[in-house]
Amino acid sequence: MAHDLGFWTLQALNALQLSMLLFLLSIGLTVIFGLMHFVNLAHGSLYALGAYFAASLAAIGGYWMGFFLAPVAVAGVGILLYSGLIKRMRKSGPMAQVLVTFGLIFALLDLTRIFWGDLALAIEVPALLDGRTAILGIEYPTYRIFIIALGLFIFGALAFVLGRTQIGAMIRAGVDNDAMAACLGINVERLFFIVFCVGCALAGLAGVVAAPLLSVTPDMGLQILIPTLIVIVIGGLGSLKGAVTGSLIYGFVQTFGAVLAPQLASVLIYALLAAVLVIKPVGLFPAKG
Amino acid sequence: MFRHNALRYTVLVLLASGALFQAFTAEYFGLEILTEILILAILVLALDIVAGFGGMVSLCHGALMGVGAYAYALFSTKAGVAPPVAMGGAVAVTGAAAWVIGAIGSRSHGIYFIMATLAFGQMAYSYVFQSPVFGGDDGLGGISRLDLSLVGIDLTDSRSFALFCLAILGAVYGASVLILRSGLGRSLTGVMHNEQRMRALGLTVWRVKADVFGLSGMIAGLAGTLAAQHIMYISPGLLSWTVSGEALVVVILGGLGTLVGPLVGAVAFVVLKHEVSALTSYWHLVVGVILIGVVMSRANGIFGWVESHSGAWIERRLSDATRDPEPEEAVSDA
Amino acid sequence: MLETRNLDKSFGAVHVTRDVSLKLERGERRVILGPNGAGKTTLFNQLVGELTPDSGSVHLAGEDVTALPVANRARRGLSRSYQKNTLFDGLTVEENLGLAAAVHTDNATRLWHDSLTRPEVREIVDDVAEQVNLMPYLHATVSEVSYGVRRQLEVGVALATRPLVLLMDEPTSGVGPEMSKGFHELLNNLPRDLTMLIIEHDMDLAFDVADTITVLNYGEVVFDGLPEAARGSKLLKEIYLGSWEDA
Repeated sequence: MAHDLGFWTLQALNALQLSMLLFLLSIGLTVIFGLMHFVNLAHGSLYALGAYFAASLAAIGGYWMGFFLAPVAVAGVGILLYSGLIKRMRKSGPMAQVLVTFGLIFALLDLTRIFWGDLALAIEVPALLDGRTAILGIEYPTYRIFIIALGLFIFGALAFVLGRTQIGAMIRAGVDNDAMAACLGINVERLFFIVFCVGCALAGLAGVVAAPLLSVTPDMGLQILIPTLIVIVIGGLGSLKGAVTGSLIYGFVQTFGAVLAPQLASVLIYALLAAVLVIKPVGLFPAKG
Repeated sequence: MFRHNALRYTVLVLLASGALFQAFTAEYFGLEILTEILILAILVLALDIVAGFGGMVSLCHGALMGVGAYAYALFSTKAGVAPPVAMGGAVAVTGAAAWVIGAIGSRSHGIYFIMATLAFGQMAYSYVFQSPVFGGDDGLGGISRLDLSLVGIDLTDSRSFALFCLAILGAVYGASVLILRSGLGRSLTGVMHNEQRMRALGLTVWRVKADVFGLSGMIAGLAGTLAAQHIMYISPGLLSWTVSGEALVVVILGGLGTLVGPLVGAVAFVVLKHEVSALTSYWHLVVGVILIGVVMSRANGIFGWVESHSGAWIERRLSDATRDPEPEEAVSDA
Repeated sequence: MLETRNLDKSFGAVHVTRDVSLKLERGERRVILGPNGAGKTTLFNQLVGELTPDSGSVHLAGEDVTALPVANRARRGLSRSYQKNTLFDGLTVEENLGLAAAVHTDNATRLWHDSLTRPEVREIVDDVAEQVNLMPYLHATVSEVSYGVRRQLEVGVALATRPLVLLMDEPTSGVGPEMSKGFHELLNNLPRDLTMLIIEHDMDLAFDVADTITVLNYGEVVFDGLPEAARGSKLLKEIYLGSWEDA
C-alpha cells in the first residue's frame, strides 16, 4: 500500500476517537451490569437524548451550555427510569430486562420524535475547538482531539475513583458480591442509584460530544447500541479494563478494517466477537469469572 | 415439556377457524394482513421452540428469516433454480447457519447468549447490506412465487397464497409439537431446567442446543422464503436486529413456552400495528408501553395470563361443585 | 472399578485435595466420612469431571478418564447425585427419570420418536421408581412432592443412567433420622454389583451400608479400611468426632 506515515497516523487518531466515544457509552453500561446485573438496552437511547438536549440547549446558550447541562438532564431522565422501572426489574431475569428496555427504546424513540420532530438537527463545533491542530506530524481536527482527550480524562478519573477512593472500593465490592457488600454495611441500593445516574450522565455526555460529528436523529441511539454491546461483550461485563480494551479493539478493527479490507470491514468485528465468545464465553476481562 | 390442554386446543381451533374465515371472506388488504400474521406466526413458533423450551433467547431469528428470504431470492432469480428446490435449499442453508450459531453460542448463557445471537444477526445484516450480490441497500426484486398450477392452485392470487401460508403454518405447528415431544426436544427442556445435571447424566449438551437451534433456524428460513414470495421484493431491513427484537416481543406478548401463545401474540401484534398506525405515526410508543406493561405485570403474556386465570377459574368451579367443607378454603378463594 | 492416583487440587492457598489415592473394587460400597470442609464434595467433583485436578489421575473400569469431560465419563458409567437437589423442577418425577434413562438408552438426541414412550426407557423408569420408592409420585411435578421424595428422586435420576459406579453426595442430607434409616435400607437393596461411593455425615448410618470406609480430613485420606477398624480407631475419633462435636 502506498500510504505514508501521516495517513496511518490519521487512521490511528480516527480509531482512537471512535474508541473513546464508545468508551464513554460502554463504561456506564458495563458497570451498571456488573453491579446490578441489569442489562439496559435503552442505554443508547440515553445517548440520543443527550444529543437532543445538547442541541436544544446549544440553541439557547451555545455549545458549552449543552456540554455541561445535557449530561445532567440525561441523569435526570435516568433517575426517572430508575425509580419507575429499573428498581422493580432488578431481580428479573436477563430476558425480562432486555424486553423492558427494548420497550423503552421504542417509547423513547417516538418520544424524541414527538418533542424534536423527525428532521435531523445539527450542532456547530464550538469556536474554541474549531479548525485543525498539528499533532504527530499531521493536521487533525481539534474537536476530535478534544474527544480523545475527554475520553482519556474520563478513563483516568474513573480509574482513580474505582481504584483509589472509598466509593470505588465499595463499587468493586458490590460487583464482586453484592450480598457480601450489603453485609459489610454498604448501602448497596444507594450505590446502585449513584452508579446508574453516573452511567446515564456519561451516556448523555457521549451524545453531546458526538452531536457535532453526526447529525442528531431519533435513531442515533439504535445505531450506537450494537457497537456498544459488542464492546462490552468483547471486553467482558462489569470491568473498566474490559470497557476500555473492548472500545480500543472495536475502534481500531473498524477503522483499519475499512482501510485494509473494505469488503470485509463490516463483518470483521462481528467475526471477532464470535471468536471471542468461542474462546472466552464471558469476554476478555470480566469482572468475575 | 409441552402439553396440550383443553384451553390450548380451544384457542387453536378458534385461531384456525378465524384464519380460514378471514382467508375466504377478506378482500385484498385483509388478505395481506392475514398473510403477514401467518408468516410472523411461523417465525415466532421457531423462536418459541428455542427460547421457551430451551432458554436460548435469540436475537437473531429475524436475521435467520432474512437469510432464508435472501437465499430463496438468490436461488430462484440468479441461480435459476425451480422455486420448490430454491425453497428447500433456502431452508437447508438457514438451518445450517443456525446450527453453527447454536453450536458457537452453546457455551454462553443469559445475556451473553442474547448478545452472541445479536452479533451473528448483525453480521448477516451488514454483509447483506454491503454486498452487491444481494443488491445492497436497494434489495432484490422480481421474486416469483411457487408454481402450484399442476394441482390447480394459482399462488399469485392473494387468497390462495394466504391459504398456502396457513397450510404451512399448520404443518409447522405440528412439526414443532413433534420436535418438542421427541427425545431431542425433551432433552432440550431438561437442559433449560438444569444444564449441569443433564451433562452429569451424560448428555452432550452443545449438540442438543445446536441441533434444536438448527431446526428452529430451518423454520425461520421457511418463514423467510414465504416472506420473500409474499412481497416479491426483499431488502436488508428484513435482517435488522429490530425485526428479531419484534419477534421476541411477539413471543413474550403472547406467552413464552406455550406455542399457542405466540400465535395469539402474532395476531395481536400485527392487528395492533395496523390499527395504531392508522391512528398515529407513533405506534412504536404504543407497542413500547404495552411491552413494558406486559413484562412488568409478570404475567406470561396474553395467553399465559388467560391460562393461569382460567386454571384458577376452573379450580374455583370445581371446589364450588364439591362444596369444600373447610371455611379457610372459601376465604382464600374469595 | 474406580480408582484415583495421587489426586491433588488447590484453590489459591487452600489445599483442598492432598494426594488422594483410592481404589474401589466392583460391587464395593465405600463411605467417605469427614468433617465439614474436609474436601469430600471437591473430591467428587474431580471424580466426575466438574473440576480438573492439578495433578494425579482418575481411572474408571481400568481406563484413564482424567482428561474426559463430564458427559463422557457419565456415558462410561459414572453417575452422581448431589448434596443439594439438582433436579428438573418444572417436570414430573417420571420425566426426570425419563431424561436420564433416555440418555443411557441413546434416545436423548433422537428427533423421530418420543423418548418417554420408548419401551427401553419405560423399563428403566419403572425399575428405578420401584427401587427408590417413587411409584406413587410418578406423575407429580417435582415442586409438588415433599423434600424427602425429592431426595429419593435425586438418587433415582442418578440410578436411571444405569451406572457402573454411583457416587452419592450425602443422600440423606436434610432428612430426619427415621427417613435416613429407610434410605439406607433402600441403598442396601440396590443390585450388589453396583459400585457405590457415598459421602455421609452421620457415622452410625454410614456403618449400615459401608463395606469399607475412607476418612478425609483437610483434603487428606487419614483412614482407609474396614468399618470395624474405623469404629475402634482412636485417630478417627479424634479427628472426625472431635470436629464433629465442634461443628
